[in-house]
Amino acid sequence: MFRYIRNRLLGLIVVLLGVTILTFVFSNISSVDPAEAYALRHILNPTPNQIAAIRTEMGMDLPLYRQYINWIGGCLQGDLGTSLITKNPVSADIAHKMPATLKVVMMAFFWVVIFTLPVSILAAVYKDSIFDNIAKFITIVGISIPNFWLGFILLVAFAVNIPLFKVVGYGDFKSLILPSLTIAIPISSMSIRLFRATILSNMNQDFVIYAQARGIPKARIIWGHVVKNSLPPMITVFCQYLGYMIAGSAIVESVFSWPGIGSHLVSAIVGRDLPTINGCVLVIAVIFTLLNLLADLLNIVINPKMLNERGEI
Amino acid sequence: METVLAVNNLKVSLKNQAPLVKNISLSIKKGKVLGIIGESGSGKTLTCKAIMQILNKRSFTVSGQILLHNTDLLKMSEKQVRTVIGKDISMIMQNPMTAFDPMMKIGRHITDTLRAHTSLTRKQAHKVGQNQLKKMNLIRVSDIMNSYPHQLSGGMLQRVMIAISLMLKPSIIIADEATTALDVKNQAIILTEFQRIRSSGVGLLVVTHDFGVIAKIADDVLVMKDGEVVESGTVYKIFHNPQEVYTKELLQARFLVDEVDHALSKESI
Repeated sequence: MFRYIRNRLLGLIVVLLGVTILTFVFSNISSVDPAEAYALRHILNPTPNQIAAIRTEMGMDLPLYRQYINWIGGCLQGDLGTSLITKNPVSADIAHKMPATLKVVMMAFFWVVIFTLPVSILAAVYKDSIFDNIAKFITIVGISIPNFWLGFILLVAFAVNIPLFKVVGYGDFKSLILPSLTIAIPISSMSIRLFRATILSNMNQDFVIYAQARGIPKARIIWGHVVKNSLPPMITVFCQYLGYMIAGSAIVESVFSWPGIGSHLVSAIVGRDLPTINGCVLVIAVIFTLLNLLADLLNIVINPKMLNERGEI
Repeated sequence: METVLAVNNLKVSLKNQAPLVKNISLSIKKGKVLGIIGESGSGKTLTCKAIMQILNKRSFTVSGQILLHNTDLLKMSEKQVRTVIGKDISMIMQNPMTAFDPMMKIGRHITDTLRAHTSLTRKQAHKVGQNQLKKMNLIRVSDIMNSYPHQLSGGMLQRVMIAISLMLKPSIIIADEATTALDVKNQAIILTEFQRIRSSGVGLLVVTHDFGVIAKIADDVLVMKDGEVVESGTVYKIFHNPQEVYTKELLQARFLVDEVDHALSKESI
């Protein structure tokens, strides 16, 4: 088990190196010069000499691989660089913005679990019933709706026409509800369909037939055998969705004027704030890979067979 | 002798379609073994599942009579059926490696089955289960109880399955291709167990496509083809005086396999 975790962590480092190298290369391909953007923001009519000086100061005259090595060296000491816009350390900015995103994402995740489990289990057990068909219709609509449009519709409906919530508001628990629902509805729709299909395929397994032949009560078969065996793939996708929700919170955050990491990253991209972009991508990649590892570990805990299948004991 | 299970004119069909199994009639007496033989797709397994009432009611229609001690299972409510299935009539499945839930320990399978039909506590059920495994000549039974299915061999799992099927003292056991997935040594062990079950007075319905199994344990034989019984009689009659062309073909195919086996074993020497 420990060897397994160690190997996975080593693999994680490789993934993170790949991700950061890619962001470095891609942001350098872009035609906008960050030094020039910085100069334009802080100096009125900068001269080419001034821009060149800034470039040297930021270390951007060095070849790309040197820049990357310098940056990685800093990261290892916990220094993600200094933001070109706010002039704060990038890590401090991220630490400041992250809680807002985590709050709304955790709330959204709560909705996803609350919606997915009962609806998909009922839809699978009562396949082709009225409930199943209604659920099918609603989930197809939910998958098809774009996030930002759903956000605006919810705002118009529940903040303007029926003023239950504030249009712009951040802070209290109530302000979490609309943004989290906006994130949760499309994702729940996807996971309901996936979980329903998984449950249905498990219902035809030999061990379910054998349980019936042993006279095990139906409810016990559904909960003890079918749902339990459907959980491992669901844990994997739930953890992936959690990663997607953190990484993809930008759109919803901008609709709801939510001061989280997503809108922070978007404004950094617009403002050519390279250290912030690299820092945010690194943090999001770390969260994503750790969530994946967490999913695999949870699966091993509930299903001991998996460790054997991976050839690790 | 007392008839334990009698099936009259059993018909199974997919909803609104031509029947897959038709006019099956059979009866099994106490302590006797009835073998059903036929090629793949002849409706053997479907017949077993229909008798066990484990076909999906939304897609299959079952008609006829399934009399267990002269009570028709098809006329019972779902709740009543559940008290009979697994207790008075139990089943041994074809593939032991997939019949157990991979995420559940063997012991839990056993205690769940006991507790579905009795009022035993989990602890008591555990004890009963262990004793039952010991009766099957299994050793280190507490290890077995604590194992997950993938940690045991197919032969071991099959013996556990037989132990479960005997646990609630059924009057009939249905074994659907119970030896097919096993190697020769384990097949022999299982067949010996079947002999023991039979001598304890339990009726046995053995479904197989292997004439060797039939020859070793069956008293009577039913030959099935395309969902119908084409020939039935005592083992002696079927082997020595088959009437139907299909039965003869099946027997010949069996001998052909033997000859090939024989030739191959010579070659390897």
